[in-house]
Formats: sequence, structure tokens, C-alpha cells
Amino acid sequence: MPDGSFAHPQERQFNPYSENGGTILAIAGADFTVVAGDTRQSEGYSIQTRYAPKVFKLTDRAVLAVNGFAADGNMFVKKVKQRLEWYRHAHAKDMPLRAIARLIQTMLYAQRFFPYYVYNILGGIEEDGSGAVYSFDPVGSYEREACRAAGAAQALVQPFLDNQIYFKNQQPPAGSSHPVHLPLPDVLSIVIDSFTGATERHIEVGDGLEIFVILAKGRSTQGFDGRSGVQELSTTPEGDRVFVIRRELKKD
Amino acid sequence: MFLTRSEYDRGVNTFSPEGRLFQVEYAIEAIKLGSTTVGVCTKEGVVLGVEKRVQSPLLVSSSIEKIMEIDRHLGCAMSGLIADARTMVDHARVTSQNHAFIYDERIKVESATQAVCDLALRFGESVHDEEAMMSRPFGVALLIAGVDENGPQLYHTDPSGTSVRYEAKAVGSGSEAAQSELQDKWHKQMTLKEAHILTLRVLKQVMEEKLDQHNVQLAQVTSDKGFEILDEVRLKALIDEMPV
Amino acid sequence: MDHFPTNWGRPRNDAHDAFNTYPLHQRPAPHTDTFAEGVQRTQQPIVTGTSVLAIKYKDGIMMTADTLASYGSLARFKSIQRLHAVGESTVIGASGDMSDFQYLQGLLDGLVTDEFTAGDGDALGPAEVHEYLARVLYARRSKMNPLWNSLLVGGVKDGESFLAYVDLLGTTYTASTLATGYGAYIALPLLRQAVEGREATLGADEARRILTESMRVLFYRDARSLNKFQIATVTAAGVDISEPIVLDTAWGFAEGIRGYGGQTQ
Repeated sequence: MPDGSFAHPQERQFNPYSENGGTILAIAGADFTVVAGDTRQSEGYSIQTRYAPKVFKLTDRAVLAVNGFAADGNMFVKKVKQRLEWYRHAHAKDMPLRAIARLIQTMLYAQRFFPYYVYNILGGIEEDGSGAVYSFDPVGSYEREACRAAGAAQALVQPFLDNQIYFKNQQPPAGSSHPVHLPLPDVLSIVIDSFTGATERHIEVGDGLEIFVILAKGRSTQGFDGRSGVQELSTTPEGDRVFVIRRELKKD
Repeated sequence: MFLTRSEYDRGVNTFSPEGRLFQVEYAIEAIKLGSTTVGVCTKEGVVLGVEKRVQSPLLVSSSIEKIMEIDRHLGCAMSGLIADARTMVDHARVTSQNHAFIYDERIKVESATQAVCDLALRFGESVHDEEAMMSRPFGVALLIAGVDENGPQLYHTDPSGTSVRYEAKAVGSGSEAAQSELQDKWHKQMTLKEAHILTLRVLKQVMEEKLDQHNVQLAQVTSDKGFEILDEVRLKALIDEMPV
Repeated sequence: MDHFPTNWGRPRNDAHDAFNTYPLHQRPAPHTDTFAEGVQRTQQPIVTGTSVLAIKYKDGIMMTADTLASYGSLARFKSIQRLHAVGESTVIGASGDMSDFQYLQGLLDGLVTDEFTAGDGDALGPAEVHEYLARVLYARRSKMNPLWNSLLVGGVKDGESFLAYVDLLGTTYTASTLATGYGAYIALPLLRQAVEGREATLGADEARRILTESMRVLFYRDARSLNKFQIATVTAAGVDISEPIVLDTAWGFAEGIRGYGGQTQ
């Protein structure tokens, strides 16, 4: 009731959801995509673990970041991977990125009335070789974008990306225009700055950072081959390639 | 021909001691009674051609439908029991639309063909006391033409649920003569136009009536225009161009 | 005509419209539950166990839980075992509803028996047991009928030690130190400080001392705990669950603390 009293008997009900913190983001370049997430998993003020991955390689050209309720997220990733394998057996090819995006929509919407409480960001390389990011809401609404942040620190990171990637509130120098796509080293710096910033200002972000880099077929590793903690995950060096860069974040 | 087969051609799912399913073999025989159907694959696209048997001058020849669209990028020509083919084409259409709905992409020609073949062997199966979904094998062969990321392709399916890819294939009553003619004349560099002419020529050879725009039907699947059935004007133009 | 191959060869369900966009296509349900309206679901735990603690150490994992099962604030059962061996290389520890835990023990024992009778020389390891429990608990929460537990699963298989958590929501995670319930607030910081970074060198005696001292702290702070507990050790040699250990605890210091009683003014 508006006055705070309860005219009707209250029913205590089991809440099947929880919120496990953390933040994810993805940025598309001209011929690469970067997908990143921190590795802290928390509930309330408790850190459950300092290493629980939120970003998963699906194919040699697709990476999925999942944030929200961890149990739903892990189950969702498991089911997506299962569908990708079935597709491979039925159609003798890896599922293209935009097909994965649509599949994720149908899988999320199928649970419209008991949703997976997760925000998904799918990043990778399209069939035309361009970098692409797809972002989803928990019930499957989706769009292709150049960049997206989601999770606990979305409100901190997205405005930063809007400014640094879309050049919002920036005037280009007279006689020039803003670039459409940033080079890989710039994007990596923005990703790292986003997470160090979010770690400083949000209690649910920190511990570790996993940055997945997906390179279009034929693109050189120029842009991160000097970096430490780089590991290649692709099944073949031909075709599109996937790398992961692991870094530490503050643990307080 | 089948005099020695007596007991094992009754049940649709009973193997003979020699390891044969006679009902399936009979179904394949049924196709040989159907009108001749030809498919020719080229780098530019796939051509399908059928003979329409206009048995009576009162019959409206345009009502004979032996080439059907499955999706924008998939077409199909048939020989045998046409009514059976409608069930299969219906299944292919649903499968194709469902694929587009879930994956936001066109289904591959091979996958669509496989979906139809999966259906072909579901005869005689039943659960509990329910009736089987189908009582007998389909009595029809399909030529499925389509274009996907692997280019133009032509597949043949038969009542046993087997699918095979061909560069050029003929089925139906005149198929033996037609197939050897295709084997002679088909070549890799063939243009779509040449495929049209070859299809008509092969049909002409095996048809009893004189070939004209009313008693044949031609369709093509190309990557830019998809599936299209050639109207009688285009058909006549092609027939007029045919070398005598 | 049904165009979905998953339905072929199955009883038909004409009430189900396979072409609707929602709900998306699925197999027709084999039967509906006539008693669905009358089914009782766990809405709250009744007889409960408190914290479980576990750490990794040099030779494997060590886990501890006290032997109390409470009925609300009543210390109802004082020698209930909350640690349970699953096969030769795994131990699970449960907090939360004890009847749900005993149901899970039955389920796991059945699973181990099935696996044994398969006779393929393969045995379930801790990772498999944890995955199985996660599936069971997530499936039950998805039916809005949870098994009201927080569980720790630990063990050693093929030279690898494993330690993980799973709860009534199906939430899972792994770490080298884990605790459920109040232990997550009170004991876990102590465990992390004592263990993190030393997992490969920590000896059994010290591991046991760390857990014992954590249980002592919990006993003094957690009103639903008991100073009687067991320690389970899993090494390459197998599972050992100790006899109950009774801590020598004293409340004499409380006399001097304002607010603990004893004072008259």
C-alpha cells in the first residue's frame, strides 16, 4: 500500500536470480574486434572468486562475453556452444557471426517469460572480414554496434567509450574529421584504461582482466605482438585468429 | 521382372533375405513412369526443365506444376507422383524458412536437400497405437537446384532418401537416353544460355510430342535473381533459337 | 505434417502449435502432472547446517564442517555429519537444509554405484561430481523448487586437486580457499591470508591448524555453530573424514565484555 502498510498477506517467494557483478565490453575495429571482461565474481559485498571467466571463445571468429547472473551465464554459454556444434554437424561449417547473433536472440527470446538474467556481447569477424560487435538485452533484443559496455560498471565505461570511440562531445581539428575506426593499439589502451578506471570506482570490478582479440584473416599481429601475457587460441593460423591477453587488476 | 518376389514386398520395413527393401525399390520404379525432368548446373546458375504431358487439348497446360520454388535461392523439379512431391517441397519450405528465422541466413542447398531426405525414410513408423506418419515411401524423385556460398548446385533425391550431387541429371521415363545425352554435351564452361538450350534439346529428344512453349517448363536459379520460372515468351524465344 | 524432425516417431500432440513463434518449438511433453497444484516446494530451509570451510594444500584439499544441525535457533541435532565422501577421490560438505543434503547424498551414492557397475574402470572425480551437482541444483532452481544448500566439492584426481562451490541457484566458482554461510564473512578472509600463494607448499599439519583456528573463531561468532567438527582430507591416497574433534573453548573472557551479561549496571 502507498502508506507502507500491508493490507494483503505477504508471500515470501524463492528468488531464482542473483547478480554476480563484473563488467564486460567489446570494440570493433576495421579488421579486428576486441572483447574484454574482468574476472571477479561477487555477490553483495563478498568476492566469491578472483578468477571466473566471463569471456568465451565460440569459434575461430566469434567470442562471447556474458555478464549478470553467473549460473544463467554459464548455462547459456554451454547451450550456445552445443548449438554451434550441432550446426557444424548439420551444415559442415562454422556458424557465421551474424548467424550466431540471431541464434542468441532466438535462444534468449525462447526464455521470454523466465529469462536468462544475462547481458551478452558478441564480438568477432563477419563473413566480409570486418570487425563486428553485437549487443543483447536479457530477452534477445539485439543490434550491431561499433562498441558496447555492459555489467556493473556499464554506467562508468559506456560514456567513456562514447567519447573515445564515437568521439562524442569532441570537435575534430579544423579541416579534418574523426577516424571511423581506431587502430588496434589505441583500442587496447582504451580497453585497459576502461577497466583500471572501473576497478578504481566500482567495488564489483577488479582482480583480473581478460582481453580477447579477434583478427580478420590475413591481418598481421601488428599492434600487440610486443605485449606480455598474449596467448593464441585459434585452431589454425590460416583464417581468422583469436588471441587472449591476460592482465592483473587491483584486488581491493 | 519381379515374379520371384512374393513375401518380402509386403511390409514396407521388411528386408528380403538378400537385404533389399522391395517397397522402396518399387517406389524408385514409379519414378520411371513419370515425365522426363532435367537439371543442368553451370557456373552462372542452375537450369531445371520438365516435360508437361498435355494429354488432352482441353487440359490447361499452365496448370501442370512440376517445378516449384522452395526459397528465393532454391528451386525443385520433380518426376513421379507429384502429390508426394508437394509434401516434400512443403517440408523443404518450412525447413528453409525456419533456418532463415533462427540463423538470419539462407540455408545451404545441401542442408535443404538433406532435410527432404530425412523425411523420405519416415514411412511405416509408428508409436504406441498411433498411425504411422506415412504409410509408404514417396513415389517421386526431386532435382533440387540452388545457389549458396558454395555456388550453384544441383542435387538428386530418390525415395530411398539418398541424395547425390550432379553437374547434370535427368530423371523420369526418358532418363536413360537423356542422361547419356547430358553426359555427351555437358561441359564445365557452359553458360546459362547454353544450359537452357541443352535442357530443351534433351527434352525434345525424349518427348513424343513436338516440343513447344506449352508442353515444357523451364526454370533457373542464379545468384543475383534467385529462383525464377521462365514465362512462355522467354521460353518461346529460347525454343526459336534452338538449332534444328 | 510435422516439419520438426525432433518430433518424428513420437506421439503427436495436436494441442501444440509447432509453427507459433512463441513458445519456440520443443518436443511435446510426455504427460502433464495431475498433482502440480498440490506439489510442495521448499520455500525455506528447516533443519540447517552452518558454514563449511575448505582449502587447498600441498597434498590435496582439506575441508571442515561442524556437526550441528539447527532447527531455527534451536541446536536440534548435535552430531550430524555434514561431510560426505563421494567415491574414492571426492568429498562434499553441505550447509543449508539437511534433508535436501541427505537427498543429494542418496543421489550421489546411486551415481557412484551406477558408475561402479558400469565396470569400465572409470570413476567419477571431483570435477565430474561438481558438474553433476551444479546441473542438479540449477535444474531444480529453474523449476522454482530448489535444493536449499550451499555445497563445497573438493578432491584429488590424476594428481590435480580440485575445489569448487555450488549453491541452490546453481551458481558455481572455484578458488583455493572457499567457505559457505557465515564462514564466507568471518573465516574466508583468514583463510585467504593464510593460504593464498602457498597452496603448493602448505603442509597437512599447518592446513589442519589453519582450519581448526578458523572453526574456533566461527564458534565464538556464529550463534548457529558448535565447537565439535570434523575435518575431511583428500589426497592422492583417498578420502579421510576424521572423527569429531571437540575444541577446548572458554567463555570466561566474556565476563569482562560490556554487553555479554554478567554486568549488573
